[in-house]
Amino acid sequence: MNDLIDSHNVLFIAAFIIQLLSIVFLSIKNERKALFSTNIVLLIGLAFGLISTLSSTLFTSAEISSRNIFSNFIRLDGLSIYFLFIVQLVAIPITIYNFSYLQHYIEQKRPIKNFIIFYLILLISTQFLVIANQAIFFLICWEAMTISAYLAMVLEREKEEVQRGSFYYFATSHVIIFVLYIFFFLLHHLTGSWFFSDYHILFSTGIVVPIIFILSFIGFGIKAGFMPFHFWLPQAHPIAPSVLSAFFSGVMIKTGIYGILRTFQFLNPVPEWCGWLMLCVSIISAIFGVWYALAQHDIKRLLAYHSVENIGIIGIGIGIGFIGSANNLPVVQVLGFGGALLHTLNHAIFKSLLFIGSGVVCQNLETRNIELMGGLVHRAKYIAIFFLIGSVAISGIPPFNGFISEFIIYTGFFKTANELKNYYPIIMLMFVVGLAFVGGLAVACFTKVNSIMFLGNERKEVKHFHTSIYDNSSLGILALLCVVIGFYPQPFVGVVNKVITNGFVKGNSSSALINIDWLYFTVIFSSIALSVFVLYLIKIKLEKKYGRRTSPAWGCGYENLNPRMQYTASSFADELNTIPKSVLVYHKKVEISETAFPLPSKFESHSKDFIDSKIILPLFNFLKLLVGKIEFLSQTDVRYYIAFILIIITIYSLIAFLWV
Amino acid sequence: MENVLSILFCLSLFYVVVTSRVKAYVTVLRVQGIILAILLMIPFIYHFSIFGIILPATLLLVKVFLIPRYINKVILDLDIKRRIEPTIQQMVFLPIVIASMIVIFLASNILSKSTELNVIPFASGFSAIVIGIYIIMFRKKLIVHVCGFLILENGIFLFGTAVASELPMMIELGTLLDVFVVVFLMGIALNRISNTFEGFEITDLGRLKD
Repeated sequence: MNDLIDSHNVLFIAAFIIQLLSIVFLSIKNERKALFSTNIVLLIGLAFGLISTLSSTLFTSAEISSRNIFSNFIRLDGLSIYFLFIVQLVAIPITIYNFSYLQHYIEQKRPIKNFIIFYLILLISTQFLVIANQAIFFLICWEAMTISAYLAMVLEREKEEVQRGSFYYFATSHVIIFVLYIFFFLLHHLTGSWFFSDYHILFSTGIVVPIIFILSFIGFGIKAGFMPFHFWLPQAHPIAPSVLSAFFSGVMIKTGIYGILRTFQFLNPVPEWCGWLMLCVSIISAIFGVWYALAQHDIKRLLAYHSVENIGIIGIGIGIGFIGSANNLPVVQVLGFGGALLHTLNHAIFKSLLFIGSGVVCQNLETRNIELMGGLVHRAKYIAIFFLIGSVAISGIPPFNGFISEFIIYTGFFKTANELKNYYPIIMLMFVVGLAFVGGLAVACFTKVNSIMFLGNERKEVKHFHTSIYDNSSLGILALLCVVIGFYPQPFVGVVNKVITNGFVKGNSSSALINIDWLYFTVIFSSIALSVFVLYLIKIKLEKKYGRRTSPAWGCGYENLNPRMQYTASSFADELNTIPKSVLVYHKKVEISETAFPLPSKFESHSKDFIDSKIILPLFNFLKLLVGKIEFLSQTDVRYYIAFILIIITIYSLIAFLWV
Repeated sequence: MENVLSILFCLSLFYVVVTSRVKAYVTVLRVQGIILAILLMIPFIYHFSIFGIILPATLLLVKVFLIPRYINKVILDLDIKRRIEPTIQQMVFLPIVIASMIVIFLASNILSKSTELNVIPFASGFSAIVIGIYIIMFRKKLIVHVCGFLILENGIFLFGTAVASELPMMIELGTLLDVFVVVFLMGIALNRISNTFEGFEITDLGRLKD
């Protein structure tokens, strides 16, 4: 018990106790007051946790030291603290958004108290998950996270799409936990221990080790949402309440990334094929994730596909790290893993920003269809600005944080090509082109989202667009983080570097990450921002002098413009979507009457998920058919089951009898 | 002595098979409880110990007094009809039972050559398990199912005494409690079912399927 009484540990444990304590406040009868007080206490707990995390050795100048508490069940090493930091950092704005989001459900008389309980369990179990050091404890946290997320997700359980999407989520979670059981049993079998800190296996130990790697890749990969396993994301994210979608996309799928990085730590160094596997899967996830996103009309579904894309980018970083590990090149490892880790943080920030922003819009318009939105910049100026910042950041455009992490990954590519001559430069160049292509498509996609959602005229009449201080503050915090990491990346890069050098890269650690002159970025970005600001001032001055001239948009010669005569989301993306038509399963139906007096014309387009519609559904239909063959065994009468039991017992005893 | 009691136990099983009255089941349960209690008391005739008497005493209390009385009460309260409503005739059921018992006795005889066990208690216990399952399979009434379950339980008891000279007492007490709770719950369930459905037959439960 002695190790528990330590100023760090006290703060750390107090944070969790306060978070748990918030459940007490749910006993308040009045739902609004209960919601308010619970969330306030939860926020205090999270803030305590964040302070204790920030005061740990990872974020101070001291040498990093891993601490074990609760007799090794919890271990705070670099990677754990970093992910704990991400969870707590993103959970705070999401919880702030909770205030205003759940008000809406109180009016609908939904059981929001249950929702808060599950949300709380989800938060706490996710925090414990990333610091767990024991396999069984890890699995318990994993299950608690999964199940509480599922229970919170079915808030609007009477809708059919909710039932469908949550079932997707639940079924895939089942597969994940099954794979993870085998994964940990194999690890236990090889090392004879349940503690993560004891897992150090050489890849050459035997055939079991590649199996362990593949299992971790499948298990954690499904959670993270890499391309062949991504099918649950676009089903589950749209139907979840926006608070949860933000948490799912921002934090929960990152636990998959955490798992893959942990596995790497167990198996370090890995052979090169692991790196290639990771790279190929990731580049496919990135390209097709963003392409699918382009074809969506449902804003949350679109964002879910963007999660696939960004997980792909993180995976590319990890893949570079694997290749560096195989060739014993610390420089490449540092750049690859550094980019991946920083992008994990960045994606957590801007993706929760976008989900919260879309949540505010969807709640007000009561639709998730982009085609029905428009002109919202006149209704909610701040939300439009914050959403724009998030969009620019996710596309990896310079002044914001997405650029920094992608820049590190690009540098990693070039460094790999430079260090390993041979055929590497060509392959790396191909990957660079792929990543650049992803960036381009992301820009196209978010141009579409921003212009259709916020610009133009309103397509759907909304009487009152309601935004509260909570919405704006939670979005503001996240947008501020985007800006800060973009303009002043030095401390964050330092933290990431520290995580990697602590137990991640074996041998001489390299300072390639810190050696990049990050201050140049600060200077350049600041000067760009300053010049934009100066231009803005000049514009205001000129406006004052000459006045502003306003006129309606040019209607291409038509008169009486109405909101339906605007660019739509599908017309914007049509050209790009028709290229990989068969992969996107993109259907387009146009009905134009060519009679003398034109009748109303029709147009519709939709895209299905290739994996979902061509592989998963046919597979399960086949299974259903197969199971249907033995359906006659399912009787309503207990006596049949007793008879089956008797038959089985007889067969077993016969076998035993003959065997003896 | 053990063999004689086991044979008596087997005879009670035959009576269960051919009878068609619910009351008879309860009587048989009482008889079987007494037989088991005596069987458990045999080792303590020569060296008496107050500790060893606890288990037979509890068994006597639960199996001879509490459970049969409770079942009788349920029968009276719910006004269950006296017939057991079999799905197959007794005269067909009896040969099946006899055939299975022959197989079991032969098999235990062969088994006894390789391992050390008392053939007759072992085989009787085994037969009681199988017949308990048969009763559950071939009768419609829920209350008869409870009796079948209890006969199965008695079989397990006898089986246990035959395999190990004495089972750990805690386990036996645990099983007793288990049985008691199960019967209790079944009674409550029957009460509920009688409120919801008209009859007490297992086929009615089929309607509960989703």
